[in-house]
Amino acid sequence: MEHEATQLEKQHVHSVYESTAAYFSDLQTKAWPRVRNFLLEQKPGSLVVDIGCGTGKYLSVNSQVYNLGCDYCEGLVEIARKKGDEVLVCDNLNLPFRDQCFNAVISIGVIHHFSTKQRRIKAIKEMARILTPGGQIMIYVWAMEQKNRRFEKQDVFVPWNKALCSRRFSESNQSGDKGEFVHTAKGQDIHPAQLVISECSYQNNLQPETDSKHSHSMDHCLPRACCMKISEEENRFYSALGRSFRSWFFSRSLDEAALRKQSDKMKRLKHEGVWANSTIPIQHSRHCSLDLGHHGSLLNEPSLDDDDDVFVESLSLKKPQWSPATAAPKDLSLNGGHQSVAQSKGDKASFLNGPVEDRDCLCGCNKDGAGKSDNSKFFKRTSTTDSTDSALDSAVSVGDQTDAMLDTKAFMRYYHVFREGELCSLVEENVPELQILSSCYDHGNWCIIAERRG
Amino acid sequence: MKLLTHNLLSSHVPGLRPGGGFPLRIELGRPSELPPEPLPNSESDEEFLRRVHHVLLEVEVLEGSLQCPDSGRRFPISKGVPNLLLSEDEA
Repeated sequence: MEHEATQLEKQHVHSVYESTAAYFSDLQTKAWPRVRNFLLEQKPGSLVVDIGCGTGKYLSVNSQVYNLGCDYCEGLVEIARKKGDEVLVCDNLNLPFRDQCFNAVISIGVIHHFSTKQRRIKAIKEMARILTPGGQIMIYVWAMEQKNRRFEKQDVFVPWNKALCSRRFSESNQSGDKGEFVHTAKGQDIHPAQLVISECSYQNNLQPETDSKHSHSMDHCLPRACCMKISEEENRFYSALGRSFRSWFFSRSLDEAALRKQSDKMKRLKHEGVWANSTIPIQHSRHCSLDLGHHGSLLNEPSLDDDDDVFVESLSLKKPQWSPATAAPKDLSLNGGHQSVAQSKGDKASFLNGPVEDRDCLCGCNKDGAGKSDNSKFFKRTSTTDSTDSALDSAVSVGDQTDAMLDTKAFMRYYHVFREGELCSLVEENVPELQILSSCYDHGNWCIIAERRG
Repeated sequence: MKLLTHNLLSSHVPGLRPGGGFPLRIELGRPSELPPEPLPNSESDEEFLRRVHHVLLEVEVLEGSLQCPDSGRRFPISKGVPNLLLSEDEA
């Protein structure tokens, strides 16, 4: 599994950051206040390291301490270097530092990129190793539970699409380094046309900017996502716009896949679990959580948690109507999952391998009352000022994406979002050298501060 | 790369004896004038402290490499940034 994990991270973490690094220098991302405070509380003369420092956002917060930053991504490190920061390139899993030499370590939005539990543990252990006894570490990870919603599953791909760039919204970016798209108030149905119009004008405004460049590898933008509401009326609207959308579904993490491999062979064969067999862990959709309005979710695996919401979105432009799949949920086998749905819509090609356009947008919102609603409104917008909510909207579950999806111009970043208490348990159960001092929820992140024992 | 940073670094090539990765040997890309080694002296000697401060925090290696003392593996320093990544085979 190590190899799969490495490959996944290579493709969906490292290469994304490397490819998009050039755009980071334009990003005026804010430093989280709590992190700033943690740094400012360190005694003058302390040795402090930011593991996964990116462009070095936190390296100039406290000039009274020695700030060192490191990151896997050379591109980002170069940007930090140009700012005058002391930085190096290395791997969180194998830190090139001596034991017990730092007074403080910060890991902000980093370990959620590790694709297995063991790697996340190893990352934390490495950081504990380099801490001097009494030294403190602060860890921030994306939370599964966001302000008004939550991610569908814990292992997700968050797209990073050029179409999502917008200077218009940069002012509204209140917090953190993930762009957000301010939505209307929670719980209210927005008239789809209004929503779409506002989205469209947003998209249209982008057109002159985004169409100028068309190179595949350099298509990237700020990490924002748009969230679209879909209804039948919108189908016509979307047709007119000429865009296509895809849905992304969630399946399993690498850890789960490994467990399954041992205990569930037959079922896997039936559902074509290709997870363990591919170097790039692409798995055809095993369950298609398509909420088709009155049909509810297409597939509900019995093992899904009760609180898993159905997740929908896919609207192919070519089709006038989003018609419900005819197959019963349970019968949709792996391969058939997507395809049968696609076929029912009469345009398999566009569903699975839709045209890759600059403005491909991946949307996904939780539908309240999954599977029960009769209406055709698939989901509701909820307001969000959380940094990761926009990511929520467009997140795709690991394992459900197809090859075609991965091949789009959207850069998919892998995240393992943490449930409440998960980070604490992870440390308590696996990293005895650390003692947790405090934990909290901050702007869509779970945060802990721990101290090196000894 | 400042010399204080160098002081914190250790080679993490697998299979080294404990402590075998430190200190990494600095190889300079271009000859540069390093200040002479300060003599071990009392910490209250201000002149000494100035020189230590200078060496640790004001001298930077811009181009060169760091060599693991035990394995000989070299880690490049380019534009002031050391790259301590191991390849997948090595790790």
